[in-house]
Amino acid sequence: MNAKLNKSHYGYLFIAPFFISFGIFGLIPILYTLYLSFMKWDGFSDPVYVGFANYSRLLHDSFFYQTIGNTLIIWIMSIIPQLVLALVLALILNEKFIRGKHFFRAIYFFPHIVTPVTLAVLFFLMFDWQTGTVNKILMSIGMVEDPINWFNSPMWSRIIVATVICWQYFGFNMIVFIAGLQSVPNEVFEAAEVDGATKWQTITRITLPMLRPVFLFTFITSVIGGLQLFDSALMLGDGPGNTTRTMVMYLYQTAFKTFDYSYGAAVAYGIFIVVMIFTAFTARLTMKKE
Amino acid sequence: MKTKKWFTLVLSVIMLSALLAACGGNNKTNNANSGNNGTTGNTANETETGSTAEPAELAGELVIWTFFDQVNDMAAQFSAKHPGVKIDVKMFPGDQYQTKLMSALQSGKDVPDIFDLERGYIGKFMDSKFLADLSAMGGDELVKDYIPYVQELGRASDDTLRAVSDHSSPGGFWYLKENAKKYLGTDDPEEISLMVDSWDKVIEVGTKVEAESGGKVHLIANAGDLFDIESYNTAPWVNDGKLNIDTKWQEVFETQKKIRTSNVDAKLPFMSAGWGNALNDGSVVLTSMPAWAGFMIDNKDGKAEGKYGVARTPEGFYVGGTYRGIYEKSDKKELAYEFIKFIAGEEWQQHNLEKTGNMPGNGKVYETNLDRFKSTIFGDQNILKPYYETVKQIPANKADKYGEEILSKWRKAAGDGITNNKSFEDVAADFKKDVKNTFPEIDVE
Repeated sequence: MNAKLNKSHYGYLFIAPFFISFGIFGLIPILYTLYLSFMKWDGFSDPVYVGFANYSRLLHDSFFYQTIGNTLIIWIMSIIPQLVLALVLALILNEKFIRGKHFFRAIYFFPHIVTPVTLAVLFFLMFDWQTGTVNKILMSIGMVEDPINWFNSPMWSRIIVATVICWQYFGFNMIVFIAGLQSVPNEVFEAAEVDGATKWQTITRITLPMLRPVFLFTFITSVIGGLQLFDSALMLGDGPGNTTRTMVMYLYQTAFKTFDYSYGAAVAYGIFIVVMIFTAFTARLTMKKE
Repeated sequence: MKTKKWFTLVLSVIMLSALLAACGGNNKTNNANSGNNGTTGNTANETETGSTAEPAELAGELVIWTFFDQVNDMAAQFSAKHPGVKIDVKMFPGDQYQTKLMSALQSGKDVPDIFDLERGYIGKFMDSKFLADLSAMGGDELVKDYIPYVQELGRASDDTLRAVSDHSSPGGFWYLKENAKKYLGTDDPEEISLMVDSWDKVIEVGTKVEAESGGKVHLIANAGDLFDIESYNTAPWVNDGKLNIDTKWQEVFETQKKIRTSNVDAKLPFMSAGWGNALNDGSVVLTSMPAWAGFMIDNKDGKAEGKYGVARTPEGFYVGGTYRGIYEKSDKKELAYEFIKFIAGEEWQQHNLEKTGNMPGNGKVYETNLDRFKSTIFGDQNILKPYYETVKQIPANKADKYGEEILSKWRKAAGDGITNNKSFEDVAADFKKDVKNTFPEIDVE
């Protein structure tokens, strides 16, 4: 019918705004960062070409490796409870007999609209070991005798950072899961009911398998988001022995606190490679299962 | 069909131009001059001021960049004296100021004539190409009566003056008089100063206070206060490209551990919520405070008036400081210099002392006010006295590009050591590793 493709060049005009803004705010900075990573530049003198010196420094930088480990640990500690919580709540709030589910959906989503910095400051004050509410409560109910110095313990510091992130994102993931659940056709459930399947069987045999694409979507987005963990972690500080310093925090400190722009640029490319590896790994895992 | 085509074309052009307009919206002046960037702007400025920068009747426009809102008053006072001068103060509060300033200086566009630098990073700017040589303009004369440490911080490694501050930031032990009477037996600043004129005495008195109050009240806020007090009473961290840990730091570290283990401190971090409470409710007897931090005292309806006293710390110290330099490529250097001259002078510093309580940088202003100046919260005490006695003795050291950052690394490593009772060797090893990693060019043994 319409065999001839309409190759009107006006189309380019329509897509131009995106490419222009991407070029200015995305591509040029990316390429400039690459250029900087081969220089030595502190913002005062003119940049000097140093070849791969920044990259070889990065390869031997134990602090950078530590931040990769920190990021992964915090990410795992936040993603598992986050997805479990989101899934369980989605399943419950998707039930027909639950009253006021719209209200609860909204309530659980609220932490997501608070900025991460605010959340982190809130947690920081709550967990302050001398004046924070958490220690006050624990002491008044007699669970501990002396206040716990949360931010002096690597494990607790990481758990607190992970909790902030978990609390912030579980509501968002819950909404995504609910959307996924609602797209599962009703007929399947009715058929199962007719066949006499129990509630548990329906969940494990029908709901979860049919949710797989949604699950993978949340998983991949959280891999990318989790590895770029920055704002809330920054507000809570480096932690004892730098145990809550994430990759992006290290980049920020190198480039904008120490003003070693060139090494910061190399760190940025280092992070890019790490994120690429993990994204590729996740994507591969996904494809295999498909 | 044709109208439809026209419509799409017009629409896309509108969308594109809207986008481009948004991109350039930040910088209207540059857009207006596009194609001939910068030069047009500069010539316009030259004609405005160029020939008129005579000390007798100053005229022109100055742009000042700062992170500090009191510069507005400075500009107002200067303009009141020289009505022909219009000063545009651009304030960038928060810690992004340095980044903003550096990118402006690096690009050379939209650059101020005068810019402020904080003590924390002034060392990085001192030897840069951005600061004009004030010595060549006669600046040494301006600071000849200055507190030694204040003027020295504004000097580059070749000893030329590059920046000037209008204040000093000495610190002392602040105390609630009532509290001091109860736990120290006196509220007389001189007696208290003598009571705690060495760290050994601090520990001795502190142990007593802790015991007498049943562990509820502590003599000082934090063993970490010693970092502030000792930071500029020790040798610089980098000497000839080599990391140098002053042997005094080991002594200080051992003192800090002793303070911590004998419960002399309340373990409250500087400027934390608990620290602020302690200052006002008296659960800490002596709080080491910089003179500029009066805003931390809750003086609602004048309830703190006359309640506080200030005593000398075992060694003099200062916290922070704001310096002002002239941009090397500014075409209004003479006019800018007049402004620097004004803030270095007695008239402004007297006004500033009376209005904000900020201590002067000029020694003469100290001397005229020693027996005169009173501050409401300190009642009858001549508070300039304890400050002046200690501030004069602070060693005059130059700010180098590493000092402050290495100091913060030391705080981190040693602070961790105090909390977790580590040995000095372990702390030094952690510290060296961190320094080596951030500054590979420094020789770390």
